[in-house]
Amino acid sequence: MIFRLLPIAAALSIALIASPAAATGKMTCDAPQKQWKSMAKLQADLVKQGWQVRKAKVDGGCYEVYGTDPQGNRVEAYFHPVSFKKLLVSRRGEVLFRAK
Amino acid sequence: MRAVSIGKGVLWAVLAVPAAFVMHRYATAPDLWPGDLLRPTGEWSARLIIVALMLTPLGQLFPQSRAVKWLIRHRRAFGVGAFGYAVLHLIFYVLDMERVAAMLAEIGAPGIWTGWLALLCLVPPALASNDAAMRLLRRHWKRVQRLVYPAAILTLVHWMLVHDGLASALVQFAPLLLLQALRLARMFIFNTTERKTI
Repeated sequence: MIFRLLPIAAALSIALIASPAAATGKMTCDAPQKQWKSMAKLQADLVKQGWQVRKAKVDGGCYEVYGTDPQGNRVEAYFHPVSFKKLLVSRRGEVLFRAK
Repeated sequence: MRAVSIGKGVLWAVLAVPAAFVMHRYATAPDLWPGDLLRPTGEWSARLIIVALMLTPLGQLFPQSRAVKWLIRHRRAFGVGAFGYAVLHLIFYVLDMERVAAMLAEIGAPGIWTGWLALLCLVPPALASNDAAMRLLRRHWKRVQRLVYPAAILTLVHWMLVHDGLASALVQFAPLLLLQALRLARMFIFNTTERKTI
């Protein structure tokens, strides 16, 4: 019984480990990188709108920002790297805003 | 006797190594936010919960194994370690959030209240993890320790919600889920009588 289950378990573990870890896949943007506006500009714009930005990085071709939104929620938010359009805001995995 | 206590000391020291790394990083990396240390502390707490709960089914699978017997005898180290990392995780969360109002504002988020509840479940078993409490509680002691099972489930859910994607949480919980599934299969399908144990 155990010996029959072990290969299945091994296969399952390998399948799970092998899944790509690079992009989180929560949001993807596909604008050519040449057209991107700078991340610093996005951060400055957000601060002007009342955000507190802790960290910003690229995820799935979008800008991903960690910080506090103007309403005081601790969130992670995705923005389009060219238009700076707000795409997704989530708080601890709970989606607060998703662009239509 | 002496060998046993040396082994015990080594085990506690080994379990403290990740905490030492975390504190070192916190003390030396200037651009690090407390929030950056939520992940390692939370993951180590979960890993130690997983190990602690794997020991009973492992012991049933390998009743002759001396290594498993040794680990079962030292299960307290894993349990208390799990609680210690959970407390460290909470401390970094509080440092990261800065204000109580901010923490209260997000307490309704499923990713957050599952974490709080998991920590609460760990408090009674941690408080009862000493010989005096064992003598005091007698047969109720195991019932108290069983709170680690709901803590494990809540931890898994907390991890899956808070972190990106399900994969990393599930990979680490897989051995435990598998062992417990085997244990249940043996109990119900094969009708093997189980030793009275946690």
